[in-house]
Amino acid sequence: MTSQNLTSLQHQFAGWEQAQEYYVEANLTDGLPIVPPSEDRVRAMLEFAGLPPDQVIGVEEIRQKHITAEKVAINAVMAGCRPEYFPVVVSAVAACCEQSFNLHASSTSTNGVTVLVLVSGGYAQEIGMNSSTGVMGPSNQANATIGRAVNLVKTNFYGSLPQEMDNSTFGHPGKYSFCFAENLDAGNWPSLAVDKGFDGGSSTVTVVAAYSPLQVSVYGGKDPGSFLAGVAHAMIGLGPSISEVLVVLSPEVMQYVNEAGWSRQQVQEFLWEKAQLPAREWIAWRRVEHPENFTDQDQLVGCVADPSRITVVAAGGAAGVYIDVIGSWGNSRSVTRKIEVRS
Amino acid sequence: MTNLEKMLVTLDPRDENDHGPALLAPRPSTLNGKTLGLLSNNKPHSEELLRMIAAIMKEMYDIKGTVEYNKGSHQWPASSEALKEFAAKCDVAIHATAE
Repeated sequence: MTSQNLTSLQHQFAGWEQAQEYYVEANLTDGLPIVPPSEDRVRAMLEFAGLPPDQVIGVEEIRQKHITAEKVAINAVMAGCRPEYFPVVVSAVAACCEQSFNLHASSTSTNGVTVLVLVSGGYAQEIGMNSSTGVMGPSNQANATIGRAVNLVKTNFYGSLPQEMDNSTFGHPGKYSFCFAENLDAGNWPSLAVDKGFDGGSSTVTVVAAYSPLQVSVYGGKDPGSFLAGVAHAMIGLGPSISEVLVVLSPEVMQYVNEAGWSRQQVQEFLWEKAQLPAREWIAWRRVEHPENFTDQDQLVGCVADPSRITVVAAGGAAGVYIDVIGSWGNSRSVTRKIEVRS
Repeated sequence: MTNLEKMLVTLDPRDENDHGPALLAPRPSTLNGKTLGLLSNNKPHSEELLRMIAAIMKEMYDIKGTVEYNKGSHQWPASSEALKEFAAKCDVAIHATAE
């Protein structure tokens, strides 16, 4: 175990209930009870990941926040994480600090997006993450607490508190937690980790500044060229100002896509092409912030700028022919990082 | 067992190096004779709003003139170089957002 001192301010309480009361009153929770972050629990996190407490996990440049392993571990304990979840939380926090993610603006905007944490690769299975039935719902400890830990780092350490720095109009239920794993048993595509350029043995975490998911029901046959048009229709509802789209295929949909021999790239290109409208239509629907920028109003404008901005993964349970469409905020780009697990 | 051993000791999750909110820039004693900078974040109507405010201020004070700068996006901060250049051209500035 690391012998380096932990330097965070200490609080002393007569018991569990007094600690809960303090953390809630001090706005250090999401409104739900937390696990009191004792030194032993925090050290267990750091020990599992082999990280010294003062190691900087990420630097957010706009607010000049240097996020240390100790502070990430404290928030992970509070969220209810087990130590084996900690490497995922660390990679997710580091990914949020990359400039292209634009943590500052996405966590303050009136738009109300959350950090979606998507895990790909064998480590998700090792720690018992849910990638199947109810994948985006409650009950799995890893899914629930990893997503919660990232949000607590954002509010407690970064300072993006609701009604203060976070001015989202509606908020987002995923601001409690929005985390799930890719279903690697569904279909025959390479994992998202491999698709993003990591080797086959790697597990990755992808963070997305995510709007609410929109579930699309698929009717009328198994031809992807037919039912994916309905998905593109749903994407149009997101408007032309989003940065990326995450498209989550249920295993049954994935089966149809595989049977038709479609690659991930084909799905991306098909959806991109079909989710375009002439500029004049976007403008007529009041979906464009600066209509004056379009000199040619017949110009086709996509929901996103190019097919690479559409990420397609399989997740969810065997029953159900559904596709979830999740837009990402403004100019924030999703970021994928390897999960570093000490051997 | 001592009292301390019975206590539950926990750690604080906040950034203890946080310096708090940025401080206000020094205020001039008067706006008379000053050049007013109008800093837009490119939200629709932000420039119009700033010009309306400038017009009101010109009625209230002997404003020497105005300079405008649009930082191009409300989603990113302006570059420090661009802000320095803007600051060099004015004595005071107003930043506004609009829709």
